[in-house]
Amino acid sequence: MSEEAVQSETGYLVRFSAAQRVEHFVTMVDFVGLVATGLPQKFYTTSWAQWIIGTLGGIDSVRWIHRFFGVVLIVAVLWHGAGALKAILSRKVGFTMAVNKRDFTDAVKTLRYYLGLEDHPAAFDRYDYKQKWEYWSLMIGNVIMILSGLTLMYPALVARIGPGEIIPAAKVAHSNEGLMAFLVITIWHVFNAHLHPDVFPFDASIFTGKISRERMEHEHPLELASAEGREPGGHGHH
Amino acid sequence: MTKRLMLALVVALLAPPALAEIPAEQDSCLGCHGSDPSMSMDLPSGEKLPLYVDQASFAKSVHGDMLRCTDCHTDKGDYPHESKPFKARRDVTVAYYEQCKKCHFSNYTKTLDGVHFQLAQQGNRQAALCVDCHGSHAIGRPGEPRTRVSDTCSNCHKKVFEVYSGSVHGKAVTQGNPDVPVCTDCHRAHDVSDPRAGALSLRTAEICGRCHTDPKLMKRYGLSTNVVETYLADFHGMAATLQKGKNGKGDRLAAGCTDCHGVHDIQRPNDPKSSVMQANLVKTCGKCHVGATADFPKAWMSHYEPSLKKSPLVWSVQLFYYVLIPFILISLVLQIALHLWRVVVNR
Repeated sequence: MSEEAVQSETGYLVRFSAAQRVEHFVTMVDFVGLVATGLPQKFYTTSWAQWIIGTLGGIDSVRWIHRFFGVVLIVAVLWHGAGALKAILSRKVGFTMAVNKRDFTDAVKTLRYYLGLEDHPAAFDRYDYKQKWEYWSLMIGNVIMILSGLTLMYPALVARIGPGEIIPAAKVAHSNEGLMAFLVITIWHVFNAHLHPDVFPFDASIFTGKISRERMEHEHPLELASAEGREPGGHGHH
Repeated sequence: MTKRLMLALVVALLAPPALAEIPAEQDSCLGCHGSDPSMSMDLPSGEKLPLYVDQASFAKSVHGDMLRCTDCHTDKGDYPHESKPFKARRDVTVAYYEQCKKCHFSNYTKTLDGVHFQLAQQGNRQAALCVDCHGSHAIGRPGEPRTRVSDTCSNCHKKVFEVYSGSVHGKAVTQGNPDVPVCTDCHRAHDVSDPRAGALSLRTAEICGRCHTDPKLMKRYGLSTNVVETYLADFHGMAATLQKGKNGKGDRLAAGCTDCHGVHDIQRPNDPKSSVMQANLVKTCGKCHVGATADFPKAWMSHYEPSLKKSPLVWSVQLFYYVLIPFILISLVLQIALHLWRVVVNR
């Protein structure tokens, strides 16, 4: 906390550690890799899909590249899980992504504010309800993608353990969950990290690790207050 | 009087053309070659080269009212004609087979892409040439009757023909059914591609689909026309479509129709001999999927669309996403729109 307090005097706070930034970067590249080799398989009759597949050396190499990125995703998820567990156990950081009752009241309050029924949006802690929603959606999505992906990679093994119908079900799940992840990221994440009026054109904090004190006051006033050892006062505004 | 003349005219028109009037007669070759059925020449190989032409059967052939002898036997215009130094009967066939291309040029060029020509180029003298399939003097219309096609191929491909004759298609052909494929429907006639490398099996969705997606044809046998679509929607169809053009060397090719259903030995799926019969499926899947066990064939939904009855798990997962994806996307877009609207209003 003292490090953050010192930096707050220069106008910037450290929001993400180097490890978190690396993790986001790896996940980002991996996600692009998976989408670029996955969606063309789902929409293989289209010309853009066939162009991508042809450029990457044909369907067989596309499948190998997809599996490589898939394995990277498994490692990244395990790594993240271990890090999260460590943070929870350390008590110092705590489980800041945990969903609590406040997130639901925050969501309602913010939506009421958008509709003009409330003077101020909710004031948020380290992660707001939108960030938590996106985090948990993608975490659940990752688990679904990994389990269904492994099923498609080892169908004969899976059919030995469970009913064979799991395999086409896994294909439907993998294909639809993947498409949904792609659409959520392109619509929601791109809006919040790029087009959002507060951060336009580009929220660089996940890459630089730094966030301005001003933005913290707007977006995470509760976290800022507790970092500076005071009671939160006033409202964040959007 | 006029009535009589008319009658004579009608009779003359209806009567079969007199043999003497075929163009081949004009070369007077048949004076020698059409009189003695035992006329032949001894070849160094010990074979006898028959030199007799049956005028009646030539007249009935497709060329009967069109070609003269010298149109094909171009070097035999004068008499006495020099005898070429042929060693064996096959030499005669090889020497004369290119005569066909003068008229049948497009079919001749097609054969240049065919496996028979490739083999001939590699020095295989048994590889089929025009006359091996079509005959020489007694050429009829190809495929009339249809059984003639498979009979012709069986001259060389005897074993395959026997397998085919026992298949659901082959049995129907022998019963005179015109709906089922003969050899050339799948393999083509002139540009027969080499089926061994796997390129042909990658094209089976298209080849088999020509009949198996035809609603009129399939209705006659109570068969689904959905088989190609369901295949293409699944993993095998996707991979095979994208692998098209590969020759199979070093590649593991995705299953096409024939990899599961069999090639020449295709049977109805409820026939105990069928490779896609329930009881035989584990073995069939196991050809590619090493370690396939009893429940593995259920990984393939047997050309059925997911339904609550046939595959409840797949159907449920599909329904879940059909509801979830639009719900999530509409919610997100709505929230973004509200958010931006608030930003605009506040300004």
